[in-house]
Amino acid sequence: MLTLEDSVKITTSKGEERWAYWLLVLPAVLLYFAVITFPTIFSIYLSMTNFSGGQLFGAELTFVGFRHYGEMFKDPYFWLALKNNFYIILVSVFGQIPIGFVLAYVLFRKLVGLQNFFQTMVYLPNTISTIVIGVMFQSFFSPYGAYTELLKKINPTYENTLMLDPNLAMIPVLIVILWMYTGYYMIIFLANMQKIDQSVIEACRIDGANEFQTLRFLILPALSGVIVTTAILAISGSLKSFDLIFAMTAGNPARRTSVLSLYMFDNAFRGSPDYPLANAISTFMVALSFLLIIVVRAVEKRFGGRE
Amino acid sequence: MGREIRHKTRAALVYRFIMYLVFGIITFLTIYPLLWLVMSSLKTTQAFQMDRLGLPNPIFLKNYPMAWKIGHFDVLFSNSVFYTITTTIVVLILSFAAAFGFAKIPSRFTGFLHGSFVIGILLTLQSIMVPLFLMTNAVGLYNTRIGILIPYIGIGLPMGIYLGTEYIKSIPDALIESARLEGAGYLKIFFSIIAPMTKPVAITLAIISFTGIWNEFMLINILASKEAIKSLPVGILKFSGALATDYGKQFAALSIGMAPMLAFYALFHKQITQGVSAGAVKG
Repeated sequence: MLTLEDSVKITTSKGEERWAYWLLVLPAVLLYFAVITFPTIFSIYLSMTNFSGGQLFGAELTFVGFRHYGEMFKDPYFWLALKNNFYIILVSVFGQIPIGFVLAYVLFRKLVGLQNFFQTMVYLPNTISTIVIGVMFQSFFSPYGAYTELLKKINPTYENTLMLDPNLAMIPVLIVILWMYTGYYMIIFLANMQKIDQSVIEACRIDGANEFQTLRFLILPALSGVIVTTAILAISGSLKSFDLIFAMTAGNPARRTSVLSLYMFDNAFRGSPDYPLANAISTFMVALSFLLIIVVRAVEKRFGGRE
Repeated sequence: MGREIRHKTRAALVYRFIMYLVFGIITFLTIYPLLWLVMSSLKTTQAFQMDRLGLPNPIFLKNYPMAWKIGHFDVLFSNSVFYTITTTIVVLILSFAAAFGFAKIPSRFTGFLHGSFVIGILLTLQSIMVPLFLMTNAVGLYNTRIGILIPYIGIGLPMGIYLGTEYIKSIPDALIESARLEGAGYLKIFFSIIAPMTKPVAITLAIISFTGIWNEFMLINILASKEAIKSLPVGILKFSGALATDYGKQFAALSIGMAPMLAFYALFHKQITQGVSAGAVKG
């Protein structure tokens, strides 16, 4: 029960409540809008102007419409980069996700001992700086690296052109991506498998279901939402790929290992800057990532959350 | 019956053996490149050219002090520590304060504001690096520590606010109401009641932020060109170009760059993997 004194306190505190709300929320909101929201919108604006360096705020910019987007779609390097982004998604969907799932399942069902050790080891590459990994594999796959030496043991006349041949150069990059992130998907699957009620699985086994049937009729349906989520993570992960390729190949040879983010970087920071084109690419990527957010929301509704 | 069981256990044993084999191979493939790196860092460049795969014999340690000096690792380390710790602390305070507001003080702005933060979790940051660079230049923060810290903090907020709001919502309202009746203001409630209670989620968030900022490369690469303010990942890159033929030093530099994170992982691997799955919940 509220006493009279209490209700007086509460009514006078309405103003204080509002004041407190903004005091708590505003620092984060201002910083976030300045660093994330504003640049996102601003780059859309810049991509439709003739801005080419110099004064950014208060300068008189001419509106040129979608011209830079036309340039982008006509640029063969744009399509090359987009294709590589697509390859990265394929490696995730057909490599990291199924392998990660199987590994997680084996660990979850304790079909192998030393679960903690194996889990720790498979996830390990995720913790190391991507730049270190990129430079390391640049050496590893180079003609003087371990990869060449190992293949020479099998075939003494082997000549390593992996990093030089434009048609092959993407292969080592994709191998490293598989090497790095399979453990990440394994952890996600494992965490979600551990949410499944153990007693249901036991009951299933007692009823005579074998390991495969348990997987097929119990675990897979329970994780369907998570599997869709990881596929979306794979797409956004591909859009995020930058550091590794920057350090490992810098997009070479002949820009054949470029991805969208690197293609944008090249246009903005290598040679003479083409900011409007870079901003058009940036907007294209923002649009893609918003599309993904919408898909995520739809999936969440369809599968009822991420469990 | 008896034979069947024996048969079954033998099959199970074979099965288990195969699983060990598979995991053994995968583990080996995972660690081999790292082992090769460390082994090669313990050879002189000449010894490496003679034998690129074997064990280092004799063990040559001088690559490490030389790489340390050439790479200015003392500067890189102190900068990385500074960026990582400062960002993590500020993100924790700002995002949990806002999360408390969102979770416990009713306001018609919460839906929009909280929603925009959640979108930020899924937004690919790579897409805004050019406008961020242009803006940082325009406001005169290029090549300054604060110009690096501000975007770092901004990037960390969405995850902090998402995890913080979820957690603080689960704290009973009665706790806050009774403190209010005793005349405590919201700020006092935040610091004396809420903040201490958020310890578990604070640890998760600190680990996500810590590993993220320690390894961050893309932004600092375009926002800083001065040696004195660079962090470890940018500094390491020096060993990829000009020094690439001095293998011994390159490998030593990479090993130095890898060591702190491996140590951190060895200490906190449980919390790190928990943080990953918590973070992945929203992408």
